[in-house]
Formats: sequence, C-alpha cells, structure tokens
Amino acid sequence: MSKIFHVMYDDDAKVMAAAKTLVGQGIRVKDVYSPFPIHGIDPIIGIKRTRLAIASFMYAMTGTSLALLGMWYFMINDWPMNIGGKPSFSLIENVTAFLPVTFEFSVLCGAHGMAITYLLRNGTLPGMPATNPDPRTTDDKFVVEITTDNNSMSADELESAIRATDLLELSIKDA
Amino acid sequence: MQREAAIREPLILGHKTYKDITDDVVGPIMGPAPLGWKIMITISSIIALYGVGCILYLLGTGIGTWGLNKTVDWAWDITNFVWWVGIGHAGTLISAVLLLFRQKWRMAINRSAEAMTIFAVIMAAVFPGIHMGRIWVSYWVLPLPNQFGSLWVNFNSPLLWDVFAISTYFSVSLVFWYIGLIPDFATIRDRMTKPLPKKIYSILSFGWSGRAKNWTRFEEVSLVLAGIATPLVFSVHSIVSMDFATSVIPGWHTTIFPPYFVSGAVFSGFAMVQTLLLIMRKGMKLENYIHVKHVEYMNIVIIVTGSIVGVAYLTELFISWYSGVEYESYAFINRFSGPYSWAYWIMMTCNVISPQLFWFKKIRRSLVATFALSIVVNIGMWFERYVIIVTSLHRDYLPSSWGEFHATSIDIGIFLGTLGIFLTLFLAFARFFPVLALNELKTILKSSGESYKNEQAK
Amino acid sequence: MANTKRYWTGLDDLHQTEAFQTLQGQEFPQHEGVDEMLGNENLASATTGRRDFLKFMGFSLAAATLAACETPVVKSIPYVNKPEGLTPGVANHYASTYYNGHDYMNVLVKTREGRPIFIKSNASTGVGRANVRVNAAVMGLYDSARLQGPHLGGAGSTWDSLDAEVAKGFAAAGRKVVLTNTVLSPSLQRAISAFCEARGAEHVQVDAVSHSALRTAAKQHTGVDGLPSFDFAAAKAVVTVGADFLGTWGDAVYYGPEWAKSRRPENGQMSKLHAFETTMSLTGSNADTRTMIKPSEQGKVLAALHGIITGSGNASGLNEGVASAVLKAADDLKKAGSNGLVVAGSNDLDAQIVAAAINTALGADGTTVKYTGEGLFAGDDAAFAQLVADMNAGRVSALIMHGTNPAYHAADKEAFRTGLGKVKFSLSTAGLADESASRCTAMAPDHHWLENWMDLRIGGTRIDLAQPTIQPLFDTRAAGESFMSWAGQSMAWYDVIRTTHNAGYTRDAMYNDGAWNSSLHDGFYMTGEDMPVSAPALVGDVSASVRRLAAAKGGAMELALYQKQAIGSGDQAANPMLQETPDPISKVTWDNYVTMARVDMEALGLNTYIAQRDKASVVKVTVNGQAVELPAFMQPGQTPGTVGIALGYGRGDNGENIGRAAFATGENGEHLLTADGKPMPIGANVFGFATVNGGVPRYDAYDVSVEVTGTEFALAATQIHNTVMDRDSVVKETTFGSYLAEASKPKGKASWNKSHTLNVHADVNGDGVINASDSKNTSAFDLWKSHPVEGIGHRWGMTIDLTTCTGCSACVTACHIENNVPVVGKDEVRRHRDMHWMRIDRYYASDWSQERGAEEGVGVIASYTKMEDPSANPQTVHMPMMCQHCNHAPCETVCPVAATTHSNEGLNQMTYNRCIGTRYCANNCPYKVRRFNWFNYQGYAKFQHMNPSQDSLTRLVLNPDVTVRARGVIEKCSMCVQRIQDGKLEAKKSGAPVVDGAIKTACAEACPTNAITFGDLNDNASEVKTNSKNNRSYHALEEVGIQPNIFYMTKVRNTESNEA
Repeated sequence: MSKIFHVMYDDDAKVMAAAKTLVGQGIRVKDVYSPFPIHGIDPIIGIKRTRLAIASFMYAMTGTSLALLGMWYFMINDWPMNIGGKPSFSLIENVTAFLPVTFEFSVLCGAHGMAITYLLRNGTLPGMPATNPDPRTTDDKFVVEITTDNNSMSADELESAIRATDLLELSIKDA
Repeated sequence: MQREAAIREPLILGHKTYKDITDDVVGPIMGPAPLGWKIMITISSIIALYGVGCILYLLGTGIGTWGLNKTVDWAWDITNFVWWVGIGHAGTLISAVLLLFRQKWRMAINRSAEAMTIFAVIMAAVFPGIHMGRIWVSYWVLPLPNQFGSLWVNFNSPLLWDVFAISTYFSVSLVFWYIGLIPDFATIRDRMTKPLPKKIYSILSFGWSGRAKNWTRFEEVSLVLAGIATPLVFSVHSIVSMDFATSVIPGWHTTIFPPYFVSGAVFSGFAMVQTLLLIMRKGMKLENYIHVKHVEYMNIVIIVTGSIVGVAYLTELFISWYSGVEYESYAFINRFSGPYSWAYWIMMTCNVISPQLFWFKKIRRSLVATFALSIVVNIGMWFERYVIIVTSLHRDYLPSSWGEFHATSIDIGIFLGTLGIFLTLFLAFARFFPVLALNELKTILKSSGESYKNEQAK
Repeated sequence: MANTKRYWTGLDDLHQTEAFQTLQGQEFPQHEGVDEMLGNENLASATTGRRDFLKFMGFSLAAATLAACETPVVKSIPYVNKPEGLTPGVANHYASTYYNGHDYMNVLVKTREGRPIFIKSNASTGVGRANVRVNAAVMGLYDSARLQGPHLGGAGSTWDSLDAEVAKGFAAAGRKVVLTNTVLSPSLQRAISAFCEARGAEHVQVDAVSHSALRTAAKQHTGVDGLPSFDFAAAKAVVTVGADFLGTWGDAVYYGPEWAKSRRPENGQMSKLHAFETTMSLTGSNADTRTMIKPSEQGKVLAALHGIITGSGNASGLNEGVASAVLKAADDLKKAGSNGLVVAGSNDLDAQIVAAAINTALGADGTTVKYTGEGLFAGDDAAFAQLVADMNAGRVSALIMHGTNPAYHAADKEAFRTGLGKVKFSLSTAGLADESASRCTAMAPDHHWLENWMDLRIGGTRIDLAQPTIQPLFDTRAAGESFMSWAGQSMAWYDVIRTTHNAGYTRDAMYNDGAWNSSLHDGFYMTGEDMPVSAPALVGDVSASVRRLAAAKGGAMELALYQKQAIGSGDQAANPMLQETPDPISKVTWDNYVTMARVDMEALGLNTYIAQRDKASVVKVTVNGQAVELPAFMQPGQTPGTVGIALGYGRGDNGENIGRAAFATGENGEHLLTADGKPMPIGANVFGFATVNGGVPRYDAYDVSVEVTGTEFALAATQIHNTVMDRDSVVKETTFGSYLAEASKPKGKASWNKSHTLNVHADVNGDGVINASDSKNTSAFDLWKSHPVEGIGHRWGMTIDLTTCTGCSACVTACHIENNVPVVGKDEVRRHRDMHWMRIDRYYASDWSQERGAEEGVGVIASYTKMEDPSANPQTVHMPMMCQHCNHAPCETVCPVAATTHSNEGLNQMTYNRCIGTRYCANNCPYKVRRFNWFNYQGYAKFQHMNPSQDSLTRLVLNPDVTVRARGVIEKCSMCVQRIQDGKLEAKKSGAPVVDGAIKTACAEACPTNAITFGDLNDNASEVKTNSKNNRSYHALEEVGIQPNIFYMTKVRNTESNEA
C-alpha cells in the first residue's frame, strides 16, 4: 500500500537543502509546492526546461504569414484599387505599408497562442480546483511531495530520511 | 540564492517575512473598505457618469456638438486618445522592459502600473470610437467578409494600423497582467474566509497550485511575453505617431515623430504612475514596498525621457527653419507666436523645464515635489498633443481656410468623464486586486530586503 | 382543352383585335408619334437635334393645352401613359427668360419629372450669362410662403369675388393707378393699357433701385428715351466712377461676360479698367487700378475727366492721390479713343450727363456706347413721388401693384405705407404677402415666372419668350390675364401673348405652328431684321452740370449705398442659398453690415477682427434723422471717411410672411424675435438713406454720423484670413507687360509661373558638372510606381483662369443647387462649418512681405504678423477652390475603410455610404475642401428655417441625381460625376466618343466669363488640355507633389500701358 509524504518547510533555503540531501539519497521528489518560484530547484528535482518559447515563436510566424497573405488578398488580389495613386500591383511594392499590421498581428498571435498553451499545459483554467496540499503554500510555507510509488524505498525508510531534514511538519497520507 | 551588493539601497524596508508581505497586501482586501476609498470612488464615479452623459448626447446629436470645423477636424478627441495611449505605455514598459533588464525595483510597482495601462488603454479606445461620424458602423474598420462582396479595408491607412496596434496592445497587456495575477489570486483564495469572495477568487485563480513545474512555465511565459511586449510598446506609439507623420500637413509630416512620441509616452506614463502610486502607497500603507528609492528611479526615467522630448521639440524647430520650406517654417513660427502660442508655452514649460528639476537629488527624492511635478508633466503632455493637432491644422496651406478651434462643454465633459472612469476603475483595482506582485516580491525579499541585507552586511 | 390552357396579355389579345395584331410585332408601340414628328416640315428650322426638338415640342404642346384650359386641370400626370417627350430619369430643358425688374436673362430651365430644378444661361441662343441671383431663382418657385390663392381683406377668397371687388374698387371716383416695375412685356403692356383704358386708370412704373438719371441723361443727350447699351467687349479702356457693372449696376448680367471677352491675355491685348469707388465692389476688386474716393468726389472725378478729355479743364480740386489716378485714367481713355468707355454709377443727372459727354468727346458713341433705347429701368421716380403724395392726400381711390414692392424699397417707405392705408381699394399681384401686398385690401397672386408664359422685349426687334416649366402649384393667375379680365376682355393669357405677336393666330392652328414652336425652343424670335442703330449725340453744353459737380460739398463722414452680389435689391431675401452665398468681397454670409476703413474703426475703437468668437462692434449710423444700428465690418479699400451699407436687407420688417429663410436665426437656429414678438429681419432696410432730389433717389449721402453703441454682434464669414502670406504657389499673378515679355516661354519657365524644382545629384542639364543648376520638376519625383493616368481612358480635369474670374460666385450657387449641398445657416457658418463644395477664396494684397521685412530689418516673425493685414486699398484676387482631384490624393491614402478612392477617370471619388466619418481625409487635405456632415441637416431642428430639405415644398428643388448626404459622412466636390455619367451615356447611345464640351460641370456651365473649363485631359484636342499646356497654367501647391487634375491659370493684371 502506497503512501504520500507532504513535507513542509518554512524557508526556501531549507527546501533547497532538503531536496539536495533527499535526492542525494536517491529519493525521487515528486513535486514541490511554493508561494513563489524557487530559483535553482528545477534541476535538483529533475524538471526539464519548458518549450513554451518555441511554441510562441511558431504562433508568431503563423501570424506573420496570415497577415501578409490576408493583406495580399484584400489589397492586391481580390479587389485592387487606386488609392492615392499608390501601387496595388504586387505584394513587394506594397509591403512597406503592410509592415505595421504584419508586426502587430504576429505579436497578437504569438502572445495569445502562448498564453493559451500555457494555461492548458498548467491545467490552470477558470473554475479549476486548487490542488495544493496546504493553503499555506501560497503564503510562506513550502511543501515537498514524495510518494512511495515512484520510489524504491519503503515508506519507513523514506520517512526517516525525510525526518532527517530541517522540516516543519510532515503529513503522511495513504494514496 | 543570489546576493546583491550591500551598497544598493534595500527595496523592501523594515524586517519583513514572507508572511508579512502576504498580510500587507491581502489584509486590506479582506478588511472593510476604508472611508477615504468610499469618498474617492463616489466622486470619481459621479464624474464618470457625467462623462457618459456627454458621450450619449454626442452620439445622439452629432459630432457638431464638439467645437470642430472644416479646418480643424480633430482636436480634443484625438488629443485625448494619444494622451491616454501614451499614459498606458509606462505599465508595459515597467513590466516588460525592466523585466528584461532584471530591474528588481519594478516588482513593487509593475502590478499597479499594468493595471493603469489597461485602464488607460480602455479610455484611449473610447475616443477613436466616438470621434467617428457614424460609430454604428465602426466595425467596418475590420476586414470582415460582407454581403457587398469585395469590400475590404485600406491597409495603407495609418488609422487602420492603429486599429491593429491598439487592439493588440490592449489584449496582450491584459493577458500579461492576468497571468501575473493568477498566483496572487491563489494566495488571496487561500486566505479568504468569506465563502462568496473565496469562490470568486478561486475562479479567478484558475486553480493555481504553485507546483514547481507551474512556476517554471510561469517564469518562462513572463519572460517571453516581456520579450514580445517590449517591441510592441515601442511599435504602438510609433504607429500612433504615424497618424500624423504620414500626412502632408506641415507640423505633422515629420519623420522624428515615432521616437519622439514613444519617449513622450513613457514620460507621461511614468508621471501618471507617480501620481497614482504616491496616493496608493499612503492610502494602503505600502511605504515599505514603494519608497523613496522607487520614486527616485522613476524620476530618473522621467528626466531621461523628458530630455529626449525636449530635444525633439528643439529639433523640430531647427529642421523647420533649416528645411527652408515656407509652410513648414511658418507652421512652427505659428506654434510659438500664433494664436495658440499659449498652448505651446504651457507645453514647453511643463515638459522641458519642469522635469529638469529632478537633477536635484533633493527634489528627486521629495515625494511632495514628485507628486506636484508628475501632475505638471501630465498637463504638459496633454498640451503637447493639443499643440501638434490643433495648431498644425488651424493654419495649414491655404490662408483662406485658416480658422480657429474653440472647445465646447461637450469636449470638456467627455475628457473629464474619461478621467472619472479611469479613476473609478483604478480604485476598484486597488480595493479588490493584489496591488503588489506577491510572488515576485517574495523572490527578492532575501536579496533586497532591508533586514536581510543588514544581516549579510554583518 | 385544359391541357392547351393559355394566358392572355389582355382582352385585345383574347379577341385578337386588329390594333393588337399590328402592335404585337413592335417593341415600341409609340413609334407613330415619332414618325409624325419626323414628317413635320418645320423640323428643318429647328436649331437642335430631333431628340431635343421632340422634347420641347412635346412639352410646349402639353403646356399650351394646359395654359389654355379654363376648366380645373388634373394636378399630376399619371405615368401610366408616358407623356410624350418626357422620360423619367432624363432631364428636359426649356428655354425661358428671367426678369425680375432688374436682372434680365435668357435662361434654360432644367426639369426632372416635371420639376424645374436648375436654371442656367441659354448659352446657345441667349444673351448674357446667368449670375448668382438668376441661378438661385428656382428656389422661389418652391417657397412655402407663396400665396396659394386670391385674398380679400387678408382672408382667402375666389377669383370671381376678387374680380367683382376690383370692378367695385375702380368704379369709385378719384385717381386710379396701376403701379408696376419696368414692364418689358408687350403683351403685359397691352393688358395694362387695356385695363387703364377700360377703368380710367393710369400706369406708373418704378424701379426698386432707380437708374432713372442714366435714362434721363441719355434722353437729354440724344433724345432717345432708353437705357444706353454699353459694349464692354469693344472697350479698350474702361473708367467706372462708382458703377459696379460687373455686379449689380445696370444690365450687369450682360456687361460682365462682355467685359471678360476683352481680358484674354492670349489675344495679345487686354482692356484696362480704372475704378473710382467708395466701397470695394466686385468691379473694384477686378479693376487694374482702383482709386478710393468719397461719394461726393464722384462728380469731381467726372468733371476732371471731362475737363481733361475735352481740354477744357484739369484735375485741380482733387486731392493729388485721386488727381494722378484721374490723369492716368484720362490718358488711357485718350489712347483708347473711340474704344474708351466711361460709366458712372451715381443716380445723379449731372453725373450721367457729364459721363455721356465724355463718351461723346472720346468718340465712343456708336462703338462702346449705343443709344438704342433699351427698355430696362423705365421707372419714373418723379411720377412715383407724386403718386405717394396723392395717396397721402387721399386723392387716390384705387391702386394695383404689379412686380413692385414700394412699401419696402421706396426711399420714404413710411410715407408710402401710410398713403397705402388711405387708398380705398389696393391690390397686389405679388406671389408673396410682402411688405406692400400684405398692406393691400386685395391680393391677386401672379404665377411664378417658371409657371407662366411671358414675352419680353428689351430692345431692337428681338422678342424673348418665357414658357411654363411646371403647372401652377397654387390657385394663382397670370397677372396679364387678370388685367385683361378686369379690363372686361377675358382671354387666356397664352392667347393674349399669341395674338399680340401673330395677328392670324387661332387656337386651332396652334398645335402645328412650327415657327412658334421653334421660337419657343430657342427662347426668342425676331420681329424684323433691322438692327437698332445708335442715335447721334445732340451736342449740348454740359458746363453747367460740370460746374455743379465740381462744386459738390462733401461731409466729414459720407455714406455709399450698394447692392450685394447675392442679395441685390432684396427681392430674393428668403432664398437660403443666396443668403448663404458669401459676399464675394467680404465673405460674410447671412448679414448686412457697415463697411468701414481700418483707420476710422481704430479711431472709434471698434473691433477690426471678425472670427468665430470675435464679434463685430455695432455702430449707429444716422442719416438726416433716420438711424440704423448695424455691425461694423473692416473693409479694405473702403475710402477713409466713408461707410458703406448694402441695400436689400431688412425684408419683412413687420414680420410679413415672405419665407422662413428671410429672418435672422439664433445659435440654435430659432428665429430671433423683435421686441414686439415678430421674427427679426436680417440687417436693416437702408433705402431710406438715399439722398432724394426731385423724387430721384441718389444712393449715397454726404453727411452721416457714426456712433459707437458699445454692443457687439456676431458676423459669420466663410473666410477670416485675408492675405496670401507670401505663398507663391497658391496664387500666381503678373502684369500684362511682363506677361507679354515672356509670353512665348514654355510652361514652367516664365518668371511669373516657375514650376517648383528640386536639385538632384545627377548631371541633368548635361553641363558635365553636378551642381545647384541640376534640378528636376517636383512632378518628376515619385516615391512609388504610381497608377498610370496619362492617355488611358478619360481623365477629367479642369482649368480655372484667374484672369477672367471676377469672383461673381455664380459657380458657388450653381454647385450648391446642382449637388444638394446643405444650407447650414449663420451660426454654423460662424463656426467655420459652411458646406460649400465650391468656394471662392479672396485674397487681398498686403503692403508687407518678407522681402520688405528683410530690407527694413524687421524680423521674420514680426513680418508674418504684419503680412496678415491687407493694405488700405489692396489689389484683390479671386480664386475658385474646390476638390483638386489629385492623382496622388493624400485624403485617399488615409481613409481606413477605402471610402474615398481614385476612379480610373481621374476623379477623386467619395463613397458616402462607406464613410465612417473619421475626418482624417479632411485633415489631410491641403486645400481643405472636404466637408463633414456635423449634424443631420435634413432633420435636426437647428436647420428647420434654412435647410431646403426640411420643407416639404422646398424639398422639391433637390436634384434627384445626387444623394442627400447622411449625418456623419464627409462630402466634397465630385466634379458633377452625375453629369459625367450622363454625358458618357449619351455618347454611348450615339455610338460616338464624348465630344469636348458636351459635358460641363455645374460651375463651368455657370461661369459667366468662361473662366472655368472642364473636359478630358486625355483628349488632346480638348480645350482643357490646350489650357493645361498653356504657359500660364499651374497646379496650386504643386510642390506638395499630389498632382491635381485642376489647373489654375496665372492672373494677369493690366497695370502697364496697353501699348506694352
């Protein structure tokens, strides 16, 4: 029968130290709940770098091409007009006038595309229930989550190892 | 755990713990509304309602209720539009540019500055709307498929660029702002005891749980958004400036406009931030988080941008003379010596001379002086747009068409109204939203908190 | 049979009648009608094509029938049966003649679906060109204030009971009088004489603005009773002493165009115009040399001229400024000899006698002056004065007034009004219950001239005809018909006219009287071939007159009364288009004011600057006891020590119902009320200020007082800035001498029309070095590959010759009416919101310039300030300004919704229903010709009293071919695109390319001096193309690089000697 350990610390430095020692003992830390980003914890508990930036770039590029395609269609292909004598013969002659909109539209797509992806990946959406084990983790407490499932050690071994760290509270739940 | 040079002034005063930060920000939200707040929001919403009334009268009767005429077809409407957009820029600049430059002092102010941006851009968006002769067909500015067949919009028109720039700017700032708010809403959610507010905040917080993975993504998104928003903020006011720069009217047709407008925007934006924050820090007892150092930093930005603007004014004058173009040179001579020279000189005094006072450390660090000057700068920047628009138009090419512009009560009423709406929104924000970026402040507590620095110094 | 069921197109089809079978095969069942016409042998005598002939023929038949009907006629034609020659959607034109007692014009009336909507000159067969007043006269037809039937004692009545009353009224003992304006109609004269004979009445004529001195002088001078006819086209040197012959003096509609013929520099010679006047008039503003004199000096100037020309005297007794001008003028007159011409405006016998003597001395009689006894201005002021005296003495028992309104324009109107009260039976045939009619015991409204038949003879053997263009709108009756029936010989008015001219006329014959129909089509016919000959001058001694003139004593402050171009003598005071048409000189609309010289105003401490918020100071002008309070207006060119006030204002001073637009309106468009709650008239009636001498009014006064009242009054001017500020690419002008010197230079090279160039870093001139002399025309520079315009399809364009443009504003009203331009009223004009698509910019010369500033060491800024002030007696230039239809239009580029785009025919198009009203285009227009619909002019209460579209009757004047614009959209000159399309359609139908001149915009058509030329710039043979290549032509603001399709032609002033 598997158990979930929620180890609470009252300082980010202590979390870092604890995580180091635990991981050093080959214990897998499942997750860390904190009121603010603890810089440098990701490599310790083995979180890979997110690829949101690349996504954003791709969204932006989509925007760029959509904008240019659209303006080419509206202004040059579908119904070219003589507006102030300015050319409406080919995209290249007009493109200077199109740059502002192209840029803005790219930004629009890039920003919103990424934001939506971010919310979806996080599972943070309107009306979603909170899953942090303790309300204090959004204030000043830090919780390290360790489960027996993804650890080879037994529950007792884990507990002793955890107790060895400078912790504040420890709650053990049955999964 | 990064450290900071001891000689740097601490950004968070007093001995604060993470908990203190939370309580200082969440406390006011959970407590009852203070009397001062009630009074202020009453006044501001009354003004707002008056403005709405004026707008309705305008829409019902016609643009003729403004003082515009065949020679001056834009005046207060576009002046207010540019002024509000300009104000908006400070927020994005603080949250985006300063983030890229890793300026920690931004963290205390970016939340409210961004709120100000959003509200200012909303106010700005009012004017292009109501200044249209036929607002009921305003959706025609979008390239919508329609029953008329091949009837599209004109992508050569700077006004259309505006449409895209302003809408992008508004929505992106909104997203940027909200993503930063989510963790702090979570904090309020977990503190809140009353059921209904708790429910509301838990909806607003999107079920944020503060997992390590979330935080990584959070920081990545903030960084990338900052990266995107930075060119955006510069592009938006450049495009606004192109409304004028791409025209043929002497005094408008000026290649210097984009940089000059952007710095002007930042200039006025920071002034407005000062005006609001100096009130807010008193009202909400945030002296420990927003203190003299922050004010000084912002004043430095004001000196820099103010000086850029000043240089731009002088450059305009020089070029108008150097170009040897009859119309160009007269346009500028007319600015400072013509019927509207009073506006020009108000602009010069407020925008060029007054910010230079910030060279004196005493003034730079004096909250009273800062508050006074920030208002002066806002006035000056309004007049800058008024001068550019009205004095350029009222005497352009053909002397036969030279005219005058006189504002009507509706012109004034609508402008006051937008001020009222803006203040109402901002007061609501101060009351119900986390006015400081909790999660960010907590990250710098140890590196820039006063007590911690002192310990490290030992 | 059910399976072979078929449907019938009608009973004829069912019964297969013969008619049906014959018609079945034909597409157009009405072809017989046409064939009949084609068979008409009179076709040959018509001067225009068959189509037009059919239209006119068809209408004249219909109209003749209607006019002949004694029984009530149906008021509308059901189009179930298409009226012959009238196609819905196609305009019909009818030749007619306009005469209001002052302006006399052959016109063409444009009708749509039976509605007259536009009046223009009858250029093909007519004489004279319609001016602003004639253009706008169509509005009067639709004035909802018109009397809708006969009235007795103020209450509506029937014609029978009215006729009975007339019979009773004229049965009584005492003097019985028919008082009319100058009657030019032989038939009307016949009717009046018949009436006078039958009722023992006498006929007295009086003119609103008297020219009797001119006629009397002519009579004394040659024995011929009649207005001398002046030939300005033949004149090489013209000297006018207070005569505004381009505007309102004499037969101005004829003089103006004639004078312009002598002003074409391309002909190698130009006539020269010297003007001596008090208030800046249209003529003065076009004069080559203009001299400011006081009214009392007019006689002295004439005396001096006479002395010098005849060698019997000199210019002593004149201050030397005037004296030297007189010497120059005399010099030019002598050079011109028999081609010299002197006209005097004063209604003073001596002045006119001396003027006539000078012309005789020059030998001008027979060349520039002909004494042929023209009929105009036959008013007898003495007889009128006697009549007024008799009326007050109760000696007059019955009075009928026709075409005159003495209760308004009599020099002593109060006397006339009280006198009228003492007349037992008084009747007016006026169409409106005006000042006189409303005081009469009976009103027998005449048809409006557009509803009426008329024959008019101004002189010689030419009879001009006026025909109805619409059925009478109300229960009115032709005055002539009334007179005949009162004379006891009831007769249809049409028959009266016909019988007057052809003896053998019978009504049965009239339907196929081809000769009559073609005269109707032409608008005139000749009763004989003999051309009128000028009577020789009976050499008379004028020394007495000269002595009297030279002895005239002037006062410290003198008054000159003048007529405004648009308002004239005030008979159309209720015409909103005329009220809104800015005065060509002052640019003030909707108001009457006192023109004063700057020095005088500064001496009195009056406001000299009038603008949106800068009101005019009101002054009190007193002339022998009577006083008016009017705003003072700073008029450059006004002689110091004089004031000028326009006649024709103050209509409806007792609240008479003469039309809503005739009264002053306030800030919300409401009628302002007088103390006694009546609508307040616009301005004041100053006919009473004339100096009366033996009944003859002289429209000036030598002794007036001007007092400051301390109150202020807002004036609404469409232009508040007067000088061109040294801007050399707006107006280009030169003198005749320097024009001739460089006349042969190619376009853009002459010193007076240099095209703008930019230096380029390339060896353009091929002198081997790249230096400042290497430059290209600004037009050669282009940032982008632009849309081709040259030589592809049509490219509509226009040239405007500033030399022949007199600023008469006929184009302004023509455009206003043709394009349904909103009338917005005084308050909006004051806010710079006039809607004119076509305006005339008027620039005064300034004493100051940047050069002079540099010489005298005055700074640039100070110089600009000084340049804003016009000189005391400035040279003036009139510049018509409308959309320039730029090929690189800045307005088009900035419209977010592409509501304004360029047509492939070179037009800058405005798509009203796409416009969202950002007004960006208006801001970005360098010419500021775009107009925004600030309000819903068709519905908003502010415009109820002036906007035609807010009156159910007046609305009928709107042109169905032009959209009435909605609130919130931009509008502007469309180059009359509706006319272009129409012209192209006609060409298409005829299968031939558009002929040059076949299409004319409203302004080009209306221009009396042909200063405006419209045409296809891609048609190398077109006149407009030729003009555009002329070396006088240029683009306004060329260096902005927006490549307009409108060319201006450098103004040439003849300020050198003609022998240059």
